[in-house]
Amino acid sequence: MEIAYYPGCSLHASSELYDIQCKMVFRNLDVELKEIEDWNCCGATAASKMNDFLAVALPARNLGIAAATGLSEIVIPCSSCYSRTLVSQKRLSCDPDLKNTINAELIRKVEGDIKVSSILEVLKPKVISGKIAEKAKKKLDGLKPACYYGCLLTRFPCDVEVPDDVENPQGMETVCRALGAAPVDWSYKTDCCGASASVNDADQSQLLMSRIMKDAVARGANCFVATCPLCQFNLDAYQQKVGEKYGIEKQLPVYFITELIGLSMGFDPIEMQVDRHFTDAMGLLKELKLI
Amino acid sequence: MSSTVLKYEATAAQPFLDEITSRSGQNLQACYQCRRCAAGCPVGEETGVTPDRLIRLILVGDRETALNNLLVWKCVACYTCGTRCPNNIQTARITETLKQMSKAAHLEPLTPRIADFHASFMSAVRHLGRFNELEGLTIYETKTAGKELSKGEIKGVAGEMITQMRLALKMIKKKRLHLGLDKVRGTAEVKALFKKAEGR
Ligand code: SF4
Ligand code: SF4
Repeated sequence: MEIAYYPGCSLHASSELYDIQCKMVFRNLDVELKEIEDWNCCGATAASKMNDFLAVALPARNLGIAAATGLSEIVIPCSSCYSRTLVSQKRLSCDPDLKNTINAELIRKVEGDIKVSSILEVLKPKVISGKIAEKAKKKLDGLKPACYYGCLLTRFPCDVEVPDDVENPQGMETVCRALGAAPVDWSYKTDCCGASASVNDADQSQLLMSRIMKDAVARGANCFVATCPLCQFNLDAYQQKVGEKYGIEKQLPVYFITELIGLSMGFDPIEMQVDRHFTDAMGLLKELKLI
Repeated sequence: MSSTVLKYEATAAQPFLDEITSRSGQNLQACYQCRRCAAGCPVGEETGVTPDRLIRLILVGDRETALNNLLVWKCVACYTCGTRCPNNIQTARITETLKQMSKAAHLEPLTPRIADFHASFMSAVRHLGRFNELEGLTIYETKTAGKELSKGEIKGVAGEMITQMRLALKMIKKKRLHLGLDKVRGTAEVKALFKKAEGR
């Protein structure tokens, strides 16, 4: 099975490890990721704050390139890119004038309606079909993740079909359970971690993170799992600082969902670059004898 | 406790409301002040003005406060308010609109760093078509440091530089800092979209 793939800027920079892991995991699930050529930045949070036209137009260029591949689905692992692209597609389909105006500037026009999927939307059917159970043999016994979705996987600024429960999504838990992990029930899974404010409004972002960390620890989680590279980076890189500031003693590794699947598939953690986290992510795996 | 009595500016209210309604695509008049939005807004405590208050300010025509309050700038676009609003009002779309209107009116943002960050992000994207963390952050730090130094805020600038240097060092240590610059071949196309955006 071939599927179009939009990595986005983060997976080509500080979260390159996620790009590597996505490719490893999907290949093993017989899904061939076809990176769309010459893609541009989706504009992320900045475009929507600064300029409404660009917030639609930047993802539109990528949608045009994706349409030209002839593939029926595109997977976008970063939640911010996923949300911006899906919202752009929706707004273009509701506003033919806007679509014509943008298409006039594009070499590859937006046409058709390629299915824009989050990574969970591609993974969930693989759980249901038994493919994950077949390939991911090692049980992740002892791992108690707090599955963290953040804002953009289930909440959208316009009317799109949400692929999971809005307030209490279960996609990540479904995948984790299939790997033998025991996700905890907790209250902050869709709360905002303030990633887009981490540099420019640091106190606010750290306050939001502290609430998320406190609940995860109180619920007995021994790690976080995330699918969004921006959330992952935020919780990973600033956890020590937030912990010190708010008196949270425990620090939890923040795994990408692909790291857990990869481990269970028997991939080498170093090859997946699990040793490149800011908050140590190897120690827990050793302690639980998972590596 | 803040007062709940707001002054109604009849002549100012209608055109202001119409502009925001059409630009944000949100039906502000449907708001019946139930405050479900306020209950879930993660920045509400810090901003004072919650989504319901912001909508009220617009409805009564208090243009000045509506354009100039912390929620406009500190809204993290988490979409919690809109998802829970019984009338489907997405306040994040309203704060976006107000930011753009305040910029068009040449108002000094209440939190310049937030405004500068997003502007710097867009400059970097306009330049190479992709966001390169080093480029974007350099534009941002230069911009804010310049402004803050000219106001004599030396301590703040030094603190900020130390924070960012520490992060950069951590990233180098963990091999997470990407030094090359990613660029799209179709920069002309991207620039054309930016140009079109200016006229709108
Ligand atoms: S939830 Fe909606 S209707 Fe209720 S106060 Fe907020 S914006 Fe108004
Ligand atoms: S989108 Fe903005 S206004 Fe709405 S709940 Fe989130 S931070 Fe508050």
